[in-house]
Amino acid sequence: MNLATIPFKNMRRKPAKTVLLLSVFSLGVISIVALYQVSLVVGHNLEKKLTAFGANIVVKPSTETLSVSYGGFNMGDMLLDIEDLREVETTAAIRSISLNDRISVVAPKLVSMYKMNETAVAVVGVRWEEELGIKSYWATDGAMPRNPDEVLLGSQAARKLGLSAGDRLTLYGRDFTVSGVLYDTGSDDDSVVLMELGRLQAMLNQPDRVSFVEVAALCSGCPIEDIVSQIQTSLPRTSVIALQNVVNQRMSSVRFVQKLALSISLVILVTASAMVGLSMLSAVNERRKDIGILRSLGYGKSRVFLIFCLEAGLIGILAGTIGYLAGFGASLKALDFLSLSEGARPIFSVTQLAFCALVFPLITIGSSLYPAWKGASIEPSRALVSL
Amino acid sequence: MLEAIDIKKSFSSDGKVVPVLEGISLKLDAGDYVSIVGRSGSGKTTLLNVISTLVRPDSGEITYEGVDLASVPESHLNGLRKSDFSVIFQFHHLLPYLTVLENTLLPFMNSLKPVSRQIEARALECLVRVGLADKARRLPGSLSGGEQQRVAIARALVKSSKILFADEPTGSLDQQTGDTIMELLAELHRDGMTIVMVTHEMEYARLADRIVEIEDGRIVH
Repeated sequence: MNLATIPFKNMRRKPAKTVLLLSVFSLGVISIVALYQVSLVVGHNLEKKLTAFGANIVVKPSTETLSVSYGGFNMGDMLLDIEDLREVETTAAIRSISLNDRISVVAPKLVSMYKMNETAVAVVGVRWEEELGIKSYWATDGAMPRNPDEVLLGSQAARKLGLSAGDRLTLYGRDFTVSGVLYDTGSDDDSVVLMELGRLQAMLNQPDRVSFVEVAALCSGCPIEDIVSQIQTSLPRTSVIALQNVVNQRMSSVRFVQKLALSISLVILVTASAMVGLSMLSAVNERRKDIGILRSLGYGKSRVFLIFCLEAGLIGILAGTIGYLAGFGASLKALDFLSLSEGARPIFSVTQLAFCALVFPLITIGSSLYPAWKGASIEPSRALVSL
Repeated sequence: MLEAIDIKKSFSSDGKVVPVLEGISLKLDAGDYVSIVGRSGSGKTTLLNVISTLVRPDSGEITYEGVDLASVPESHLNGLRKSDFSVIFQFHHLLPYLTVLENTLLPFMNSLKPVSRQIEARALECLVRVGLADKARRLPGSLSGGEQQRVAIARALVKSSKILFADEPTGSLDQQTGDTIMELLAELHRDGMTIVMVTHEMEYARLADRIVEIEDGRIVH
């Protein structure tokens, strides 16, 4: 028996009222937890889908440029010590960083120049599976290459070469079929010939060589700089660059979802807190007699204040615990209902449960401060008027 | 022990100031048994509330064991109400959601430190004394009016209060139960407790050593 016995037993005296108040605040916590979990999953899925719209990190050989001019004649910048990357070593190094769960796609490329009928074109070797992972927006007149003997032409390259889907062309002495022509993308892809990387490496007699590697990383869990730094450490003789505009664009979409969930959560939290505050205010008015008795027994204002705060805190602890457990369950159901359960799933966290059981009591206590202060401020004489 | 000098107290009602106590002086010595009588609205309950520190007077002086209670902080008055003074009311003197034992121990439950076993044992002894040992775990709602009043008296006993202020302690009870309560008060007085009782029943008032009669906020007898 101690001071906590008073609020605890008072809550038991009116189970319906206690359950109602607990339900209201628990519903608030459930909504917040479910929204938070769903927004995390939706954000993750959204980001993963956005990786299909291009890479956000480029790994290329480190080079040194030299500006050459002589006798007033400028020869421009010359690249020194260009050394292509080794495909297996580079992709393995990227996949092995400690943040490897944030790496979505690794797309190596080999670029070469070829002159066909006096027309120069860039031929780019790609791994189709990886490439299509970051270029899902590609649309073609024709089809994507299904075997190494097929190539895909950018729209400008097709016009320049006078070729269309189904035509044949010769590259490095070997015949290929044009499986399709890309519709205009507005990117460098429009002016190149795309083919299977292995075949190009073999034809150029450069096995395992790539010019650069594009990486699509998921940035919602950590800053892109951390991923770049780890790749750089793993591949010290390369140049690793984050495409910040792509990263920022992508993260702004993810953050929008999370900010929306946060805003709704705040509205729910304020509403639930107001309900707790109002309920405590009415409890203070109902319990003037109790306050009078306690004050007549020597309970100071601080003790009466503490009794109401303890009551609010008990509601908060229960609502925080029940709310997290039920909210977690609700998020699983909501993701199933929204057909978003494939891919990432919410992860049950004891830390989050403890956080809820600790923070929500603080919120209920915070919303009960005014009623508790009001109750504590009632003079014994005024409280005793009702006796 | 306790002295009230020239106490004045008024209340506001509908914007008008209504004087309730108009210069009352009263002296209590240790072991006194005083009855305060008077017609309804004469100011006897207000006087009890003022001298028991539940209501601050507008003017006048109240000294307890040499200390001027008008100049002490609220915490000092809380201390007095916790230990030296006990008040029992006509109605609603128990918290309905606490057991009889918990209500008896209420003065000692004002911190997060659990009530000691010794105090709990003393509370049970006090309940034995008022004849409620078998109802220690019951809620007040299941007790009769007289039993509830006895719980309030047991609470005063467990505190070892020096002064018991009783406001119409038999007002809501039948004759027989009222007699039992008065016997209990007489017993406490014999044990040395100072008692100040407000009553409108002269039969009970005469049991006290001294009767103070109030009329229109003034002592008339």
